[in-house]
Amino acid sequence: MLHTLIRQEILGHLMSARFLAAVVITLLLVVANTVVLIDAHENRVASYSQQAKVHREKAVAAETYSELKLFVERPPNPLSLLSAGLEKRLGTTVEIYHGEVPTISSVSARNLENPYLNLFSQIDLVSIFQVVLSLLALLFAYDAIAGDWESGTLRLVISHPVGRGAILLGKYIAAMICLLLPVLMSLLIVMLQLSLASSIQLGTTDFLRIGGIVATTIVYLSVFYLIGLLISTMTRRTATSLMLCMFLWVILVLVYPNWSRFTLNPVGDMRPERQSAYQQVEQIWEEVDREEQRFLANSPLEGEPPRFNIGYSGSSSSSGRRYGFNMTKVNADSEPSLPHFQDYQAFIGTTHIRAAEKIGLINEQRWARTSIRQATWDERLMKFSPASLYTFATSAWVGTDIDGMLDFVGAVQAYRQILIDYLHDKDAFASRRWFASDQGAVDWWDLPQFRFAPVDVSENAQRALMDVSLLFVMNLVLFMVSFLIFIKVEV
Amino acid sequence: MIKHIIQREFFDHLNSLRFALTVIIMAALMVTNAVVHLQSHPDKVRSYSENVAGDRDTLQSRTDLYELLRKGPGKLYKQPSSLTFIADSSDAFLPDRGTQNWGSWSRTVGFGTQVKSIWSADYPTANPNSRDLRPKATKIDWVFIITYLLSFIPLLFTFDALSGERENGTLRLCLANSISRPALLTGKFLGTLIAVLIPFYFAVLLNLAVISTDTWTQLGAADWGRLGMILLIASGYASIFIAVGLMVSGGTRDTRVSLVVLLIIWVALVVFMPSTLGTLSTKWMSPVQTAHQRETARRSALDQINDDFQKRMTDKQVAKSQTGNLLNQFMDLMKTSPKAAEKLAKEKEAELRAAMANLESQKADEEELRIKAEFVNKDVEIRERLNRAHLQAQLAQVQRARVVTRFSPAAIVQYALESMTGTGLKRHLQFLDSVHLHMRQFRNFITETDRADTESLHIIGIPEGMSKKPISPQALPSFADKITFSDTFNAAIVDMLLLLGLLGISLLGAFFVFSRSDI
Repeated sequence: MLHTLIRQEILGHLMSARFLAAVVITLLLVVANTVVLIDAHENRVASYSQQAKVHREKAVAAETYSELKLFVERPPNPLSLLSAGLEKRLGTTVEIYHGEVPTISSVSARNLENPYLNLFSQIDLVSIFQVVLSLLALLFAYDAIAGDWESGTLRLVISHPVGRGAILLGKYIAAMICLLLPVLMSLLIVMLQLSLASSIQLGTTDFLRIGGIVATTIVYLSVFYLIGLLISTMTRRTATSLMLCMFLWVILVLVYPNWSRFTLNPVGDMRPERQSAYQQVEQIWEEVDREEQRFLANSPLEGEPPRFNIGYSGSSSSSGRRYGFNMTKVNADSEPSLPHFQDYQAFIGTTHIRAAEKIGLINEQRWARTSIRQATWDERLMKFSPASLYTFATSAWVGTDIDGMLDFVGAVQAYRQILIDYLHDKDAFASRRWFASDQGAVDWWDLPQFRFAPVDVSENAQRALMDVSLLFVMNLVLFMVSFLIFIKVEV
Repeated sequence: MIKHIIQREFFDHLNSLRFALTVIIMAALMVTNAVVHLQSHPDKVRSYSENVAGDRDTLQSRTDLYELLRKGPGKLYKQPSSLTFIADSSDAFLPDRGTQNWGSWSRTVGFGTQVKSIWSADYPTANPNSRDLRPKATKIDWVFIITYLLSFIPLLFTFDALSGERENGTLRLCLANSISRPALLTGKFLGTLIAVLIPFYFAVLLNLAVISTDTWTQLGAADWGRLGMILLIASGYASIFIAVGLMVSGGTRDTRVSLVVLLIIWVALVVFMPSTLGTLSTKWMSPVQTAHQRETARRSALDQINDDFQKRMTDKQVAKSQTGNLLNQFMDLMKTSPKAAEKLAKEKEAELRAAMANLESQKADEEELRIKAEFVNKDVEIRERLNRAHLQAQLAQVQRARVVTRFSPAAIVQYALESMTGTGLKRHLQFLDSVHLHMRQFRNFITETDRADTESLHIIGIPEGMSKKPISPQALPSFADKITFSDTFNAAIVDMLLLLGLLGISLLGAFFVFSRSDI
């Protein structure tokens, strides 16, 4: 009996104008946007490899260790075309420097070609499902019970030996199958377009991630269908049911996420937090300065740091506490003080690394308490809307959420440690090549390369789990409530 | 008769659920908008006036003409519109100032001659995204409320206006009377328009009532004029969607089909088109130079004039020096064999030193100053030319993308509202024009002041060649960015005409479809 119900419902949906219209518009939007997104991704891949090359050239151009300017680039994530998240918004370039631990704020976006184009918001494929298919789900559902009730078929169906639960279930399953069709068709088209683009190669784990997105999409659409079903069981007239559904949709998909993000500010003023962090950093630098004074008191070096009275020809550059020397020739009378200068450089190098580690901790805490906390709170509040839950869950699947970005920062921090180890191995801080290239330039042949691999799928699944299960719970509650109401309803 | 239809249509809507829901949602959003504006606007105004005052103070502290030329006219801040609550979302992506400091250089050429750079215009960009971890969202300003709701709600009000009556047979009844179809349609159109606009205007009044409590937002007569235009634009936009709704409703027999068609049109036109078309159009655009390409282009252009300058300067100095031969010989040796040069230096150390000292003590002659000034000005010219070209390429891309997005009435109305408010790209372009005008005035002022001083050598670009007289701070041209009604109106006029055209077309379409359809 359930089987017949489902078959009949499916046929009804498939032949309807709404299904046809929604499928056509979904596919059109998907095709148009995929073309743009693939193109944008190819540009980003090209710019990534070009930037990586430029960074590499810049790094090996350094003739002394102190002149090293090392930048790394965040590789573009091919799956970001499904769910963009923060991927294209945040910067991609980080400088690796032993005297500073990179945090999320060190990632800069100054290589952006045209920031004015941010005026147009980028659309990812998930947002098409989010808007169009949730609307379709409601259009399937608004007259599911109310329409049958109005036309009198509900009475007819119930007069058959079929449980009310079965009727509800039949309608639900049929609608979900029909909603799944445009999703799968879209993904098929995306896959076709992707296979034509040479720059994007998807691996097995990527397909697992896409599978995760499909599952999340089903759960998400099911929420909207059940909302519609609930409204439909509660109202006697399709017109009323429709209006309620449409307004609820506008609120859940369009209004609430934007509204909560701009009106509610649970974190409040973050300036004191920032202020105290600045003060702590200030104290650490004062401590470093004191240590430097103590060291210099015992050192025979004369003159002002960092040049002292060393006569040389060559160049030096400075920014903040960072000095890059390239002495191409050291005056003969300065030669005796060079060993002391080397000692000083070794001392200041290790001191700065230690200070950087402490400052890094402070900054990490500061970010956790300010920006990251604010972003998490925004997300939490937005999660009252299933549409936002869906966005967050999908970006967790592909790794473009905050956690994914923090993974990159973590990888960059690890790379900095590798760089420091490399410098220590070469005894770079205490060597003459730290500041002078008169005895030959530094050979960077074994400079470690930066690699960033996305986290394991299981990790992504764990991150998405919370949101997906919230959606799932919404489903259960909605189904239970509609079931209870439907049982009690007079036919 | 029409009056009667309007009345009936209007009262029908007034009693409906959708009317009540519309009132609630409109009012809630408009009040939210006002409250958020009250919280954020004072900071904006305060920081603007602080910035402007800071800019002015630093400018006026410079009484030396060369110092003015070297440090430039300041950052030139953009005045925030007093109507920002209407259209605020685009301004986050546009810089709030006209110029930025890129730094400066100083160089030693030839025998210890110092040359310093003077100010050149560089354009800041705003990229608030790059460090923003918060989830993406659109600001709830009037533009959001108008573009989304004043298009969605008209469709909900009209999708069954004709198809519903056709379904239950009242349409036949109605037309059996002596009512022409155009009259019926006009009646329905006006009745629905009034029913849609009443919640909107009610919400607008609430919004303005809350905002009027704010002492930081003072609205002048021109602001009210702009506000009136904005309401007119919003009403026109709503009418377009009512006409479209009537058109589809008049052409279909089934209300459900009519609804689905309208929703699909809405999703495509309002939700996706503005951004999809914007990004789609970038695919066929000539690319903007990357940061790396720009840097290389600048390097090569600057290196060229730099080499040229070094050569001219050294030649000049060597020719000038009395012991030119010795110095010349030394310089040549330095290039070919440094060891021999060292030997020479050891042998004739005293003579060489004397020659150098002589050179330095000798008052630099005018021609040398001219060479220096020419170099400094060329440096500025090259930098500004490249910066300007880059800015123009960037803006050209955005403008082309905007032309394409104008297929969507939502985009048109967004641009019109932004221009009318005094935010958005058009306003930024006007602002950039006034920045450029001010830069010209500022430079003219320096040249004029220098020309007025008879003691000066009139060589602009280096301290020795310019007037030393202190300048009075009052004489400086001041940069005052103002939003005028005529500017905003001129910026919005094209979009307003486009909207009017769309309204005409959709109304004609509705009449055409309805007059041809069966009852």
